[in-house]
Amino acid sequence: MIVVRELTKRYGPTLALDRLSFEVRPGAVTGFLGPNGAGKSTALRVILGLHHPTSGEALVGGRRYDRIRRPMREVGAVLDADAAHPGRTAFHHLACLARANGIGAARVTAVLERVGLAGVAHRRVGGFSLGMRQRLGIAGALIGDPAVVLLDEPVNGLDATGIRWIRSTLRSLAAEGRTVLLSSHLMSEMALTVDHVLIIGRGRLIGETSVARMRDRFARDVLVRSPRADELARVLTGLGAAVTTTGDGALVAVGVDAPTIGDAAAAASIPVHGLTPRSATLEDVYLEMTSGAVEYRAAAERTARP
Amino acid sequence: MTTPRNRPATAAETGSTAETGDTATPEVPRLRVFRDAVAAEWMKLRTLRSTYAFVAGGAAATLLGMLILFLLVRAFDQATTAEQANYETADPTVVVMPFVEFFLGSIGAMLVTSEFTTGAIGPGLLAVPQRRLLLGAKATVAGAVGLCGGLLFALLSFAGARLLLGDRPAPLSPWQSWTDAMPTVLCAALVVAVTGTVALGLGAVLRSTASTLLTLGGLVLVAPVFAHFLPTAWQLRFGSVLLPNLTPQLAGSDHPYLLTRGGAVAVAVAYVVVALGAGALSFDRRDAS
Repeated sequence: MIVVRELTKRYGPTLALDRLSFEVRPGAVTGFLGPNGAGKSTALRVILGLHHPTSGEALVGGRRYDRIRRPMREVGAVLDADAAHPGRTAFHHLACLARANGIGAARVTAVLERVGLAGVAHRRVGGFSLGMRQRLGIAGALIGDPAVVLLDEPVNGLDATGIRWIRSTLRSLAAEGRTVLLSSHLMSEMALTVDHVLIIGRGRLIGETSVARMRDRFARDVLVRSPRADELARVLTGLGAAVTTTGDGALVAVGVDAPTIGDAAAAASIPVHGLTPRSATLEDVYLEMTSGAVEYRAAAERTARP
Repeated sequence: MTTPRNRPATAAETGSTAETGDTATPEVPRLRVFRDAVAAEWMKLRTLRSTYAFVAGGAAATLLGMLILFLLVRAFDQATTAEQANYETADPTVVVMPFVEFFLGSIGAMLVTSEFTTGAIGPGLLAVPQRRLLLGAKATVAGAVGLCGGLLFALLSFAGARLLLGDRPAPLSPWQSWTDAMPTVLCAALVVAVTGTVALGLGAVLRSTASTLLTLGGLVLVAPVFAHFLPTAWQLRFGSVLLPNLTPQLAGSDHPYLLTRGGAVAVAVAYVVVALGAGALSFDRRDAS
């Protein structure tokens, strides 16, 4: 359980977190979603005690992270792929972290095997690719077999194989009953891995929802093509739908779903050539929700928007 | 594949809440946490090549010191009796130990600066988030490495000097028996330990390897040279509080400096307290990584 209350963080004149409050429930994958500069990484760093909050508090399992005496046994985190000394071998990097938490070398070997780095365990981290370093980061997070795992932008910069590996790893972590908090600025990434979404922008919580509910809420309309469009439009209006016509003669119906339209057209013996339910992509929804919170946007882009 | 079946239950699982702050994990004694942190820091040190490079630097300085001593002894043997009486004491620790202080002190500095420059400070603090405890563990390792390494190189230079000097008389030979040198050897090792912790404190404040080693070099190698250019009165006042010059003052051997043994102890303690205090303050307050 992660509880964040009224968290504010100021870096000089920049307000990175603005009275941010949220809770992460145990045993689910929670996505921390927001545009670049929204405060996701800052929030994770404050939760983990790496940065000090200006005010407010962040508790993990009821305690501040820096009060936990064997923290890696309770919380695992991957913040930055480039967070190991390049001159140390993968094995020794993990062994140092393990030693500090009273964890033995056998466990180091086990996590290296789990992330697929057993073969390069005794090679220096400096020679690792980004994907290998990301795996090493995850190995570090799992070394204490923690119930809570936090990951900051874990797929950033990874190739397709790396992304697929991270996805399946996240799913298996959740299946093992761990609490996972994952930050990303990619909605598409979230849709595949996350149950619950926390949307933040400009350091504030903008919304909190499940991926499924987000999809439902933004189901939009149905595109209908028919050679007898005018007749069909009348039938649909009779069903209580708002119908408009597009430039190429297709109908856009809001307020009725595709099966109802199909049934009504069949009952009236009107042929239908196309029936396409359209929903906003999660990406659209996300952009809509965070549009006010994007920190940097080109002026042209801003003025081009309706 | 691991499953969380065997892991220690967390607060969330055992139903305790943020309000009660209870956890099911049995609280590990703070001393145990410290001991593990020291062991981890020691492991960090011995798994990096730079550590061995700095130890090699200390060994090279010792060898170089022995070479200088060898040349000095040869010149002494060829000099007339009158000239011989004017020779200064051939105390090897004077030549060798400032370099040993620099090289072994650098190991102490690297304990913290290498983590800041490579980003490894992040995982380091995730493993041991109690910052003062972490710095204390690093200081313990820096001090221990300084003490043991200092003792090794001081003993080596002393043994080398004894062999080279043979039964040549004072003033060239600083010691008349093996036991005479022991206070100097021990105090030289102590000063290396002090330098290691001072370097660590500097590193925690400066966070950069380059600036920390530059400052350390200035402190133990350049400042004593600089002191020579001061008027005699100031040369002694300034020179007395410099790290390398604390060795003879602590040992109570023959030296020109101004501090009593107690005074030298106080100055050594002040170095450690000020450097580690500033390091702890900076490490504790500033955001990491």
